[in-house]
Amino acid sequence: MKKRILLILSLVLILSMFLAACQPETQEAVQEAVEEVAEEVEEAVEEVEEEVAEEVEEEVAEETEEAAAAGPDLDPAEVAASLPREETVYIAGLQWSAVVGWNPYSSANNNAMGIAAGSNARVPIFETPYMYNMINGEQIPLLADGPWTWNDDMTEITFTLKDAAMWSDGTPVTAEDVAYTWATHVKYETTAGVGYGDYIDNVEAMDDKTVVVKAKLDEDGNAINPLLLKAYVSSEYVVQKAWTEILEARAGNDATALKEDPALDFVSSGPYTKFYDDDQKVVYIRDDNYWGQDASMWGALPVPKYLAHTIYADNNAGFLALKAGEVDVSQQFNANVQDLWLVDNLPISTWMEEAPYGLTASLPTAYFNLESFGLDNIAVRKAIAYAVDYDTIIANAMTNQSPTFDQVPRSVMNPTAGEQALYDQEAVADLQWVGNDIEGANAILDEAGIVDTDGDGWRELDGQKLSYNAVCPNGWSDWQAAMEIVAAAGEKIGIEITTLYPEWGVYQTVFVNGDQQEYDIFMVWSDGAGPTQPWGRVRQLMYGQFAETQGNWNGNWGGYINPRIDEIVNEIPSVTDQDRLVELYTEATEIYLTDIPSFTLMYRPDQFYTVNETIWTNYPSAEDGRNIPPMNLLDGFSIAGLYELELVNP
Amino acid sequence: MKHTIREIFHSPKFLVGFSIFMFILLVVIFYPLFVTAEPLEIIGKGTFFEPGIYVNVYDGVNSKQYTLNLDDAAEKRIASKLGDQERLDMQEWLLSFGIPEEEIDIYDTEKLIELWENNYDRSIRFPGMTSARQKYFGRLNTSLAGLLSTEGIVLAAENQETGELESTGIIEQTNYLNVGQVANVRVLPLGTDNFGRDMLTELVSATGTSLKIGFIAGSIATMIGLTLGLLAGYIGGWVDDIIMFFTNLFTVIPSIVLLILISYSIGQEQRGAVTVAVVIGFTSWVWTTRAVRAQVISLRHRDHVNLSKLSGHSVGHIIVHDILPYIASYVVMAFILQISSGILAEAGLSILGLGPKTTDVPTLGLMMNWAMIYSAHIMGKWWAYFPVIVVIALVSFSMNLMNTGLDQVFNPALRE
Repeated sequence: MKKRILLILSLVLILSMFLAACQPETQEAVQEAVEEVAEEVEEAVEEVEEEVAEEVEEEVAEETEEAAAAGPDLDPAEVAASLPREETVYIAGLQWSAVVGWNPYSSANNNAMGIAAGSNARVPIFETPYMYNMINGEQIPLLADGPWTWNDDMTEITFTLKDAAMWSDGTPVTAEDVAYTWATHVKYETTAGVGYGDYIDNVEAMDDKTVVVKAKLDEDGNAINPLLLKAYVSSEYVVQKAWTEILEARAGNDATALKEDPALDFVSSGPYTKFYDDDQKVVYIRDDNYWGQDASMWGALPVPKYLAHTIYADNNAGFLALKAGEVDVSQQFNANVQDLWLVDNLPISTWMEEAPYGLTASLPTAYFNLESFGLDNIAVRKAIAYAVDYDTIIANAMTNQSPTFDQVPRSVMNPTAGEQALYDQEAVADLQWVGNDIEGANAILDEAGIVDTDGDGWRELDGQKLSYNAVCPNGWSDWQAAMEIVAAAGEKIGIEITTLYPEWGVYQTVFVNGDQQEYDIFMVWSDGAGPTQPWGRVRQLMYGQFAETQGNWNGNWGGYINPRIDEIVNEIPSVTDQDRLVELYTEATEIYLTDIPSFTLMYRPDQFYTVNETIWTNYPSAEDGRNIPPMNLLDGFSIAGLYELELVNP
Repeated sequence: MKHTIREIFHSPKFLVGFSIFMFILLVVIFYPLFVTAEPLEIIGKGTFFEPGIYVNVYDGVNSKQYTLNLDDAAEKRIASKLGDQERLDMQEWLLSFGIPEEEIDIYDTEKLIELWENNYDRSIRFPGMTSARQKYFGRLNTSLAGLLSTEGIVLAAENQETGELESTGIIEQTNYLNVGQVANVRVLPLGTDNFGRDMLTELVSATGTSLKIGFIAGSIATMIGLTLGLLAGYIGGWVDDIIMFFTNLFTVIPSIVLLILISYSIGQEQRGAVTVAVVIGFTSWVWTTRAVRAQVISLRHRDHVNLSKLSGHSVGHIIVHDILPYIASYVVMAFILQISSGILAEAGLSILGLGPKTTDVPTLGLMMNWAMIYSAHIMGKWWAYFPVIVVIALVSFSMNLMNTGLDQVFNPALRE
């Protein structure tokens, strides 16, 4: 008897494992499977001798009790363990390890789902006065009421705050909060304070609701960089003054202590707040008293009650979860993403249905280390850049998730229409190259007298063999594959290039040093879209002041110096005349394509955006005309997407 | 000696293992003579092309055309685009659109397509329909275009002078070509990998490299193990103590940990295939040492050894002439196992990203590593990883089989 029961039970177990492994496509299928198993368990249980049956029943009863008790008033840990799927949006690809803190003054919170200031500031918890929309470059009021205005000589930006804007503790957001946030950034030398300190003189409260951002002026009385004032209002969070004072008191006014404070007691103004986090997942809960439900802002609360991010071991784990419908919005590079709907027939989409699938805005770029032997020679740089097969990088490394250089010819601009209009394409057409030009590259080298003198198959310059490494962080798969293709190009033109993939932890300590000799050709991202672009990108690619600096996170990592570029970079921010602007950008592009201090390998989205419509639908997409950018439903104006979601099965 | 070898080849297990191994070895040696392509050459623009025969379309169009009148050709053509599932999906859309069910006959292709073409509107999204589904119908609609056409396709070429298209011919639906007559046909029996490389060519080359790594690692490990084991076992005393001290030290630390640490500290730039092989060799000699020492200790006081000692032979002479022959069979077996574990160790290291640098040579582990990075196992691109697993399994299976076969011959206790 017992043996038979054991047999039945193990059969049931195998069956349930089998069913679970089949990845049922719909909720019903799961339900069916569960019901089937449950039925069989019941049958089996009936056969079991009485005492055994009692035991089983007891256990089942216990479990049901536990499940039933999981109400909203319970411990967050228990709720987080089994979030109601129909009230939760799961995001993937942002958070790879446990959260460190919630401190808006710190840049080391490792709280990527919620806290990330910058061009497309992430606004579910803390909010900025304006939200940037990368699709059209607009700054849409969030805490602010209506558009901001310049004064007559472009040295001050004025905006007012919405009357409805409230902190999570019920007090209103005031101009004094905005001013005090800036004062704190400066006083404690935070990233924002240092970054904007040279350009913003002060942020002042004129009255309860009116804020003025004042620029630092040069000798002529003009703002040094009006662009950065414009950027400030959509890039940096507003933090409550009262809470900041508590934080300061706790830190004893010490800068390091203030920035290292995990700030678990933070007061914020955004629609979501901390709910639960450990090394497995991070969960935010909606603040149902959020001020934004006022008609002057969204007029409603965001749809999902919880935002959750499971911490996956690696890209593949996150990818599997997306396929299984456990992830709703994925910010991962998923190779061959189109197979998910073309082959697997899953309800998964990207921003666009056809290649390049996303809204590409940044330019992953390979820098030449100008200190490496031979790379200070323009012929060598040019030959390598000409020889690389970019079409293969885009088709194979990026699996076509980038436009080709035929479609968007190379320049310092990203592929968005706004930036492309900022330079004269005709004027630089002769300088642009499409790649895989082995003959051209060989000719350049031969002409420069860089030939293989000792017959070993590799070219020499002044008797020394040209041999380089091509470096990018380990595990960044599309970049790694791109570096392999760069290396393959080297072989074809007689320049030895080997790939090297150090861990990110090592990589980030080396490439930021201006005098490093370890990496010859190395990849770094570029600025994507933002209120200061493409000026910021020109500066990042070539600005002389960044060259040779230590701990350099600003740009020009190869150490390129050209006084004319510095002049252009200094001039552009105060230019308002469109023609002059195009002239300057065209000149910068010309210099960039002539001197080739670095070369772009592909275009890439600011954030990858793949959505699964198993639970939620009505996600923003390119075709819908809503102009909500594909930025995880979290960054800048992308958060509008959270107000538009609908359940697939309401 | 002759007798032993004959006996070995009479062992069925050894024979099977040996045949598999020789087959792999011969393929590795002879394949490059027939297929001269560079194993690391990127030929495909795109990732993971399926296994199959790739016929150049341009050459195909220009090669000799034959007319075959096959009855089921049109049917097959339609079925490839419009299967049962697609018909049901069309029905679903039409029903949602408001077409009465009795008007839809999903098995009357002509009527169904007509009904579809008259009603379908890409921009419609019914309540409850996901946008993924809406896009699916859009793609279905595109694939149906011209499905029922009986016309051929007109070929046209651009006139160099006027820039206008001029018709150069027609491809009828009944036209066929003979694959053998097309100038450019490339057979990719295992498709391509994520870089667009020919998987089979790469796999053969990788197997060769991996065997080399295994051989180098195995030789080093066996040499070290044998030397230390002989010295420790025969000389004994403090020499034994010192050697055993280090051996025990290495036994306690798992060799994979040592491997990882050493590989990591070498840095990728210096990690060629040979370096990795040497590192593997230097970390896996431990159990050979222990086993050889144990054997030697049991041999040390045999009569013939004592006799040799009395005859005044040197230690080296005794070890080489009186001890080594007795443990030779054992050493050969250990060597085979070391090769096999060397190959596995390389695969393990490469999967962790600590194998040889990738630009130089393909290895089995690196192929697995890249297939994983590009999610081949999740996307169902079996040809990118499964053949590699099979080769690794076959190599180590054949070696273990040979080892078991040898064991049966040499070990009297196991003799049948």
